[in-house]
Amino acid sequence: MDKSRLDLTRIILNDLWLHRWVLLLATLVMLNAVAVVYTSYMSRSYTNQWDQMLQERDRLDIEWRNLLLEEQSQSEHSKITNIATKDLNMKRPLPNEEVVVRVK
Amino acid sequence: MNKQAKRIQKPQLIHWRLYVVVAFVSLLFITLVVRAAYIQIIEPDKLRYESDMRTLRTTSREVQRGLISDRNGEMLAVSVPVRAVWVDPKRVYARDGFKDMRRWQALADVLHEPLTKILSRVKRHPKKRFAYLKRQVTPAVADYIKLLNLPGVYLKSESRRYYPAGEITSQLIGITNIDGIGIEGIEKTYDTWLTGTPSKQKVRKSRDGLVVERLDMVQEGENSNDLVLSIDQRIQQLAYRELKKATEINLATSGSIVVLDIRTGEVLAMANTPSYNPNSTDKLQAFRMRNRALTDTFEPGSVIKPFVVAAALEAGTIQDNQLIDTSPGWMRLGGRRVRDGRNYGDLSLTDILVHSSNVGISKVALSMPIEQLLGTYAALGLGTYSGIDLIGESTGVVRDSHRWSDFERATLSFGYGLTITALQLARMYATLGSKGILYPTSIVKLKKKPEGVQVLSADVANKVMRMLQGVTKAEGTAVRAHIEGYPVAGKTGTSRKAVAGGYGDDYVASFAGVAPVNNPRLAIAVMINEPKGDHYYGGDIAGPPFAKVMSGSLQMLNVEPVTSKDKVKIATLARTNQ
Repeated sequence: MDKSRLDLTRIILNDLWLHRWVLLLATLVMLNAVAVVYTSYMSRSYTNQWDQMLQERDRLDIEWRNLLLEEQSQSEHSKITNIATKDLNMKRPLPNEEVVVRVK
Repeated sequence: MNKQAKRIQKPQLIHWRLYVVVAFVSLLFITLVVRAAYIQIIEPDKLRYESDMRTLRTTSREVQRGLISDRNGEMLAVSVPVRAVWVDPKRVYARDGFKDMRRWQALADVLHEPLTKILSRVKRHPKKRFAYLKRQVTPAVADYIKLLNLPGVYLKSESRRYYPAGEITSQLIGITNIDGIGIEGIEKTYDTWLTGTPSKQKVRKSRDGLVVERLDMVQEGENSNDLVLSIDQRIQQLAYRELKKATEINLATSGSIVVLDIRTGEVLAMANTPSYNPNSTDKLQAFRMRNRALTDTFEPGSVIKPFVVAAALEAGTIQDNQLIDTSPGWMRLGGRRVRDGRNYGDLSLTDILVHSSNVGISKVALSMPIEQLLGTYAALGLGTYSGIDLIGESTGVVRDSHRWSDFERATLSFGYGLTITALQLARMYATLGSKGILYPTSIVKLKKKPEGVQVLSADVANKVMRMLQGVTKAEGTAVRAHIEGYPVAGKTGTSRKAVAGGYGDDYVASFAGVAPVNNPRLAIAVMINEPKGDHYYGGDIAGPPFAKVMSGSLQMLNVEPVTSKDKVKIATLARTNQ
């Protein structure tokens, strides 16, 4: 038997070469499919991230509101006036004791 | 064994077997393809539906009610999300929920309610699908309840309104009910502006509950709006404190104070006593919730006199240097008497106001036609709304009649026979300070100065204001409203309260004024209702809170006091921020 005529590898390669465009298209189709899977996966994970951030925003908003309340109750004017006058011995000057400083 | 061995030795093709196998395999493939095609093309809906059932969810985003802040950004009303605990009694029974009573005991403990009460709420209507167990619990408590994992007990988000300023602004801001709808004050007037609607959106969730796809909006939400008031919380706080002090010292029934910005007509403070705590709404009393400064009217008394002088000067029936004879200290008008404290003799217009002479002002009023006086009162905003646009505002009453007796004309000039609110009073005095221009009052911080109406000529307004300076000086009726450093133009008022068939023994003491006269910034009206202490004169009762609030506020607003020249220092600052 003539070995060269029946070189299987060669035949296969030849055959593939003959259908190279089909092959190329097939590869592209496969790549495309993978890309579709990949992008949809990415889009899902981004959506998820976005949602997490929205939740985080809500959480921070609640915290902000509570801090706001705390700030308001801590900085209440009568409270500060009390601390200033009682603990720190400060007093508000009367209008006629004020010294006007004009900034030029 | 032998047979098998032979077959291996001599393999033969058995055709029918091949065909059977081929046919079988092809059938298998065809079935698969047909099935796939059927699912994919002919009837995909059922599976899609099944998938959606498992992954599609509607999420809603709660919108908190808008914030209310003062003009400097200090918060006056803040909503904080909380949870409501509710129960589905039918489900509790279906899931045999009372098996583990320790959990129910823990629930009762954390809600601070007796166990029996909670259980009775579940057991009362075993078929019902909804009942509140407790509303407005904090997120920490809510998390604890979630961990209790009681069958049929659920949480629902809602929000709770906090008022950091408490009783200081309570009547003005008003309150919301437990469902977050404004029912009083600004909360009610601006309810639509402050309220938002939650948005609802369809989302796809993955197996572990993460959102992986956002689909269409089910309901477009609307964000709530914040509200910035014209109130200056520093002044408001001072005004409330001083008013409360004055109300308590004089054993008065109630009191109101209004601070107006003369240049824009904005309300910088509006406080009332008695007040209430808007943060604990279980023991509300209606009489404490009224914003008396604009709902309650009273007969103003002498505090109205400057505007009679203004009307006469405007009409030209009296000259500003004219002397008016008030002796012998009383006069008879159609069988009734108008009386002064004592015989003042000849008085100038300034003296009439300084001594608050009823005889003098009656003569001024009688010098002009009644239409002139009523016209001036109306132009200054009596009998009409002030433009503040809050619920419950009253206009006061100025009687409109074709026939006026001389006595009625006289009483109108010293503040009887008409009723006004504290807000209207402050607004009238603000007109004196703004060169006769009447601005609509506003409770919302304004972006630009509103259009005013010239109701008095600038000259007349200035003259009257300067006349009023004497009132707080040594010989005036309100020495206690004097402020060192800021010249005050103001007037006292003391009026008897009308009862059925005449006037009773109760008084309304008031003081209204503007300061500083050289550059008017604030108009303040103080009204103390039914003082029962030793004093009842407006100057003694309403004067001190006026002086304290006025001087404090002007200092806070950095208004330069009128001082001797050596107290003014000129400084040069190296500005670093340029």
